[in-house]
Amino acid sequence: MTPATTPARPVGPADALAAPTRAALAELLLTMADDEFVSGFTDSEWTGIAPLLEEDVAISSIAQDELGHARALYQLLVDVVDDGRDEDALAYDREPDDYRHARLLDHARGDWADTIARRFLYELADEARLGSIGPGYRPLAELVEKLRREERYHRMHVLAWIDRLARGGREARTRIEAALVAQEIDAPTVFTPLEDEAALLEAGILTRSMAEAEAAWRADLTSILVPLELSLPPHIPLAPDGRREHSDSFRWLWGEFTSVRRSEGRVTW
Amino acid sequence: MAVAKRPAAELEPYEVFQQPKDGDPMRHGGNVMAPDAELAMHYAREMFGRRNESTRLWVVRRADIAVLQDPDLLDPPLDRSFKKPGGYVMRDKLAAARERAGTAKPAARAEGHDRTGGRRAKDQA
Amino acid sequence: MTDPLALDPVLPPRQRSERPWNDDLPHDERYAHFAAHVTAGGKIEPNDWMPDEYRTAVLRFVEMHANSELMGVLPEREWLMRAPTLRRKLALTAKVQDEVGHAQLLYRVAEDLGKPREQMLEDLLAGRTKFHNVFHYPTRSWGDIGIIAWLVDAAAIVAQQALRDSSYGPYARTMQKICWEESVHIMHGRDVVVTLMTGTASQRELVQEALNRWWGPLMQMHGPRGDRAKDRDLHWRIKAKTSEELRQEFLTIYVPRLLELGLTIPDPELRFDDEAKAWQYTEPDWEELRSVVTGHGPKSQDRLEFRRLNREDTRWVREIVFGLRAVAA
Repeated sequence: MTPATTPARPVGPADALAAPTRAALAELLLTMADDEFVSGFTDSEWTGIAPLLEEDVAISSIAQDELGHARALYQLLVDVVDDGRDEDALAYDREPDDYRHARLLDHARGDWADTIARRFLYELADEARLGSIGPGYRPLAELVEKLRREERYHRMHVLAWIDRLARGGREARTRIEAALVAQEIDAPTVFTPLEDEAALLEAGILTRSMAEAEAAWRADLTSILVPLELSLPPHIPLAPDGRREHSDSFRWLWGEFTSVRRSEGRVTW
Repeated sequence: MAVAKRPAAELEPYEVFQQPKDGDPMRHGGNVMAPDAELAMHYAREMFGRRNESTRLWVVRRADIAVLQDPDLLDPPLDRSFKKPGGYVMRDKLAAARERAGTAKPAARAEGHDRTGGRRAKDQA
Repeated sequence: MTDPLALDPVLPPRQRSERPWNDDLPHDERYAHFAAHVTAGGKIEPNDWMPDEYRTAVLRFVEMHANSELMGVLPEREWLMRAPTLRRKLALTAKVQDEVGHAQLLYRVAEDLGKPREQMLEDLLAGRTKFHNVFHYPTRSWGDIGIIAWLVDAAAIVAQQALRDSSYGPYARTMQKICWEESVHIMHGRDVVVTLMTGTASQRELVQEALNRWWGPLMQMHGPRGDRAKDRDLHWRIKAKTSEELRQEFLTIYVPRLLELGLTIPDPELRFDDEAKAWQYTEPDWEELRSVVTGHGPKSQDRLEFRRLNREDTRWVREIVFGLRAVAA
């Protein structure tokens, strides 16, 4: 009599990866997903209250795009961590300190200039990061191709606004300068070194390190900010905790976005 | 400061035309308020393209559109029926021609061209 | 007999203009032509001549509709932050975005009738113009989000579908676009409700409790029965159906759909009278409606104040980037 065996579960795309590579990939995906998730949440706070109705609809689309990107990234992460959690459980069911988004995104929505400054710094950083993803893990490479196409619109929109604020006269300029300065200190946290970049580079999942991506980002920023005579983010050594120790405003956000889910056990919404 | 200030902005309407899918004619979708052509393009995309409902948009400053609405030009009173199919009623003339030739009306309608220049299929007997 | 070789004669004389109210005629004649056109189901476009009473009536109607879309964003906005899954968050954000888009479309129609948008927003926030009753009430739970997205949007779409025949062309066309977009909202709302109703006992209770609170405002939403003959909006065909017709239509479609989920409708008098071929119901509280739409609803002032503060915060953007100067109060 043959002993009962559990049916073999289908082989996932991540199963081909060596264990250290898989763990490194999980970290990369988590940072990307959490960045888009928190950014999208914060941007969606403008829904209904943006400076002009037409602009309201525009920023809402951008927020939805980011949340959609987050969802797609969490879906990839489901296969990689393979611990029974679905994308909603990954996105929602963690304590605040278990989130791995960059500290840049801990900044609250603020006023319109704050939002434009944060979006500008993050958008260009995300572009540099997406430009660092290689073919090593096919599902991610395919997703990134789609993300880059959607991000083009975001770049166009935020550059249009940086220009209008920087060249809109003294008041607008003062506001965008102050907003950039306040957030530039945290902007490089998007490039916080990952624990095992070497494994990702070897597997071809990354084509360059986060440090090299940061250099590309700075070059991009320079080409836009210098002609507008706006300040650049300072060069500071990147601390490994750039994605930990989140702010009070994030904790408040977490309280809000988990409130309905925490009201019941595992149920369907 | 060496950076040039932008000219003063002024919101004005931009009309948006959209093409739902490849091959469709452009049709008027509505309009958006915007301070310049660049943001008008963004807003047009949002109002008339955020749901993948258009393959193409034309965004035009309303002030740049010339409107013709004059009935003297578009609906002049003298007869112009010679410009339309309905202006060619031949039934009486055909009857007179057949009578003179001593012929009868052809039995089945042969393949011919319909009013739009397309071919009409043979009628089933 | 007609000479077969002759061309058809010159067409009989006819009216020079098909829009005689636009011609240079005395006011009374123009008014008569205009009224005949509208009564016969004709459309009016923005560059047509209009009697003042028509322009005023359309503007007031469209402005209130625009105001309602704008204020209608606020009850749901609070819960945007709290949506319990990624898909619900996306759907709710898209829905609220659509409401803002509808406000944009409607304010554009009103602007083209001659009233600047800034003036309309100032009037709304100063309490000089109104918005629909349902947006003056609080949202207390995720159950409210399902009920509102489903039933409030449904009641609105019943009215909006009738408005697709409005005599004012731009408004009628806008209604077609809006109706198409709203149909997705209703599906989203119903999906939220049905999911809750197949969930735990406490989830079902969320829905029932929300329905208990929202039924009254929903029944008031289309307005009191009025005298058809005295209704200027009907006369000018700005709208095509009476309040009672809309309410009856809403009940006919949605009462069965509520009952099939096992929900109880909190009106013991509600029933369909086969003889009268109409729904009978407890008379809605018209005093409550009057009080609420004049700014005395539970959340009226909070929401207006929230908008005022927000407008102040963003004033600099409008002035500098959009060139909008504040209108003198």
